[in-house]
Amino acid sequence: MIKNPLKPILFAVLCGTLLCSCDGDGSDNQDNIDDEVLDPNSSLNTVFDGKIFSIPSPVQTAYLIKSLDLEFDGTLLNDEKNVGNYVTEYKQALNLGIYGTDLGYSTLYEQKDITMRYLGSVEKLTSELGLDAAFDTSFLQSFEENNNDEESMIRLMSDAFRQADNFLKHANRKPTSALILTGGWIESIYFACRLNEEKPSPDIERRIGEQKQSLNSIIDILVEYNKEGSNDELIEQMRDLKLSFDKVIMTYEYAAPDTDKENKITTFHHSLDIAIDEVILQEIREKIEIIRSNIIN
Amino acid sequence: MKSLLVPAFFLLTVGVGHAQQDCERIVQNCERQLSESTDGSEFISDGQVYTAFLDREKAEFKTTFFGGTTYRISASAGEKDNYVIFTIKDPQGNILFSNKNYRNAPYWDFRVIETLPVTIETELDTDLKVTGCAVMLIGFQR
Repeated sequence: MIKNPLKPILFAVLCGTLLCSCDGDGSDNQDNIDDEVLDPNSSLNTVFDGKIFSIPSPVQTAYLIKSLDLEFDGTLLNDEKNVGNYVTEYKQALNLGIYGTDLGYSTLYEQKDITMRYLGSVEKLTSELGLDAAFDTSFLQSFEENNNDEESMIRLMSDAFRQADNFLKHANRKPTSALILTGGWIESIYFACRLNEEKPSPDIERRIGEQKQSLNSIIDILVEYNKEGSNDELIEQMRDLKLSFDKVIMTYEYAAPDTDKENKITTFHHSLDIAIDEVILQEIREKIEIIRSNIIN
Repeated sequence: MKSLLVPAFFLLTVGVGHAQQDCERIVQNCERQLSESTDGSEFISDGQVYTAFLDREKAEFKTTFFGGTTYRISASAGEKDNYVIFTIKDPQGNILFSNKNYRNAPYWDFRVIETLPVTIETELDTDLKVTGCAVMLIGFQR
């Protein structure tokens, strides 16, 4: 019997066509479940599964800083001329996070010239990381057209970062996504620490202490996506930073929330006390400055 | 045996690609929900897309809601808007909110007066859908 070499390919095309013919609605039928999907070892699950991590947007700390009527401080930013020094994907991703936070900070303070220069740094790194689809010409055009409306600019920037995050996750480049988030987080804590050193503020001190859980998520995400040990040094530094954050005491007291069903909104009424003293703040400040310096230099 | 490897690989590639396309459509549903507004106010994305391929298990993650902020959680797992159940728990494990009590509402807003570390659990309502891609977005406004 002669074996037809095209047989497996024809079989695959037929099966593939059948699979494609089931669109999103088809999968809604609970009886229609692929065995492969239900198999926990299936590579389908490997692609989409895994732990989920959440790092609060660094823009939120920039909003807090602005609300305290603190003046814009350009010395906080990573020099945009450094952008050409970042040649590895590791450095590019971390510094994209850092420049993204710088961009958000300068945007909120309506520093138009600085904002455009930092947009250039962000654009260069996104291009080198293959994220042009998120930061495309339409984004750049909208960003420039809205340069008198900082709220719109922040929204456009956050949406672009979200699209980049989505692209990286779907392209199985979660390690890169993790580094961008980490860079953004480090820069926002650096801002808070430096500004608090210059002009101590209970609101900023509290915001620094509130990062305790986010730091745990940062360490988890770096460990989870530690490609060939590339994050080892950073993980060690972040664990050392955690030793200082562990001294921050958070006291939570539950109170029942109330819900406005009509307007789809729930208000939380708990209390959360945060105890953080000058010694802890200084430790955190010194450690974060060293971590950031290793990233930007 | 070798002859089976080609179709298996092809199937896997097509299957994964197809599931990714589904996920992409679901992300767009979530984006629409995040920008829905009756008073013109808009939410700013936290810059992340939370995606999980769920069957009968829950996906869980921790985040921090900062005080003085209103957050919106938007979730979707397909064309209909009530497939996903999301639950928010406080540091003591108390349930602060579950959209299950509101017909699996696809989005909900949270006014946060004081900062709160939370755990967010996501699952499919298995009476409606047993398996598939679930997406969540988080937005905020001051």
